[in-house]
Amino acid sequence: MPFENQSPVAGRLVEGTLIVCIGNDLVADDAAGHEIYLRLLNRELPAAVRLEYAAVGGIALLDRLTGLESAMIVVDAVQFGSPPGTVHCLNWDELPDLGVGAMSGHDIGLRETVAIGRLLYPEKLPERIMLVGVEGRCFNRTRDAMTPETAAALDDAVHLIRNLLMHQGEP
Amino acid sequence: MNKTITIDPVTRIEGHAKVFINLTGEGQLESAGLVVNELRGFERILTGMDADRMPLITARICGVCPTAHHLAASNALDNAAGVTSPPAAQLLRELMYMGHLIHSHCLSVFVLQGPDLVLGLDADPAIRNVVGVVQAVPEIAKKALQCRSIGQKINEIVGGRGTHPVTSVAGGIAFVLDSDNERQLREMTDEALALSLELLPVVKQLLLKQIELHPAMLSEWVVPAWSAGTVQPDGTIDFLNGEIRAVDMAGNTVLQFPTRDYDQYLSESVLDWSYMKQVAILKDDQRHDYRVGPLARFNATDRYGTPEADREREEFIRTVGRPCHANVMQAYVRLIELVYFAERARKILAMPEIHGETRIPVKFPGGRGVGHVEAARGTLIHDYEIDENGIVRSANLIVATQQNYALINKTIAQAATSHVINRPDDQALLNAVEFGIRCYDPCLSCATHALGGMPLEIAITRGNAAPRAIRRNVI
Repeated sequence: MPFENQSPVAGRLVEGTLIVCIGNDLVADDAAGHEIYLRLLNRELPAAVRLEYAAVGGIALLDRLTGLESAMIVVDAVQFGSPPGTVHCLNWDELPDLGVGAMSGHDIGLRETVAIGRLLYPEKLPERIMLVGVEGRCFNRTRDAMTPETAAALDDAVHLIRNLLMHQGEP
Repeated sequence: MNKTITIDPVTRIEGHAKVFINLTGEGQLESAGLVVNELRGFERILTGMDADRMPLITARICGVCPTAHHLAASNALDNAAGVTSPPAAQLLRELMYMGHLIHSHCLSVFVLQGPDLVLGLDADPAIRNVVGVVQAVPEIAKKALQCRSIGQKINEIVGGRGTHPVTSVAGGIAFVLDSDNERQLREMTDEALALSLELLPVVKQLLLKQIELHPAMLSEWVVPAWSAGTVQPDGTIDFLNGEIRAVDMAGNTVLQFPTRDYDQYLSESVLDWSYMKQVAILKDDQRHDYRVGPLARFNATDRYGTPEADREREEFIRTVGRPCHANVMQAYVRLIELVYFAERARKILAMPEIHGETRIPVKFPGGRGVGHVEAARGTLIHDYEIDENGIVRSANLIVATQQNYALINKTIAQAATSHVINRPDDQALLNAVEFGIRCYDPCLSCATHALGGMPLEIAITRGNAAPRAIRRNVI
């Protein structure tokens, strides 16, 4: 897990982790981020964690950063070509580069967003930015059509996020 | 022996799309188009819901133009209830909308046009992207993003929530301007105007330079068609209220009608190769392809009604002409609109009527409600059948990309003709098709945004021979 120790005191929670869950709650597997957000809301999280929900990601993520966060975890449905329900945990620079071939100006990927943030607003960017992605398959149907494997993986993603938060101070 | 070329640019946010180009054995163009696998079932889930929820739920269809849906739904509900929202409510809705449109146009200029304009259409695709733009011109990029951010904040203050606004309701708006947020909004609109006036000449120069390098953009990449936009009674553009006006290829007004009559003039048809229904204007039993969006609004309306935008409009007419059918000029008009949004937002804040009553009670007597707005990408229509208990019994939404669909397909055919036939340059084809589609900034599904590695692919087949694949790998 590339979420190595950045804390000055091993075992202590790093101050200011922002979790942003992304996804359209009305759309099949795209609702994964929203579902995970709801489940995290009902769990006890360390005090220094700020949990937010965003319908879409992209460049607006930069508006959410205050410069006080030491880490940001982005939670989203993904299509990386794995079987549905696979839970990915990647450092931002391990993400696919989506900058080429964009047909629409709607938004840009997390990798590009972070790259832009590092160039333009380095003071706002946390040291560590991770993606927890749940592989989905269906993105063109309404919420009731969520792929069963994706639905079944939501709790795994919640556990993973909680583990990241609890152990991020450890080596 | 037929040759099929498929471009598969499945991008992550606007749904799933695939470009196909079919050539005959003789190498002539047979057909070309964009296959859209759009979000299905959305209109169906609206059925059975309380009509009052439409502005909230339709705003959540999509994270790209939520405020457009929020306000088109509000207009439709006002009409269904037979009320006119108070002037203050209409001005506050418009102010919220100007914020959203500032955000949306800045993002389009930065993400869509930025890479082509700053780095050049012929630049290596590995660097021709938004990160490349930021590296090349960090100060301009910072201004565009700052302007976007301000627009989003204006939308958020008046709309009550960030991405998906919640304040506009049937009969008005659940927002009252107080002295604190008024001061804040004034500062923001001043800054947005200053930034847009700085961006306009810089981006325009970059555009003119690209046109100089690629003169075919103005001579060959031109798709004449009818245009539609929304006008006030005196012909001034309006993004929230007014009638839909259509002009022909020469710019003559051929139709002007209130939103509720849209189904008499706009005709949807099903294509056997795409989920998306294509819309044409029906007049004298003839179907006419038309465009909506910035360029169409410029062609169909008489003025913006704000000084700086109208000054630049005159400059456009002097240097390019009107009507204009060159797709590349969407970028120029988008910049003029950006200035208009900021000027209009400032004007709204200066109007004393903005402090009046903001909401009146409504009751749905049962019947139909149709409303529309000019979304960033073009005319957006919401049509509901509501029963006497205030429940939606059926819904029909017509979005911008459906109306531009015929023209998008013609643009692809044109790119294929100029870049495929007898010119087997795959890179130039990719560039031309991508560029052509980008000019329309299509919103294909209003739905998904899942992150993923989606390569741009062209598969070429010749008869029974093994397919040849060209892949622009983006991973």
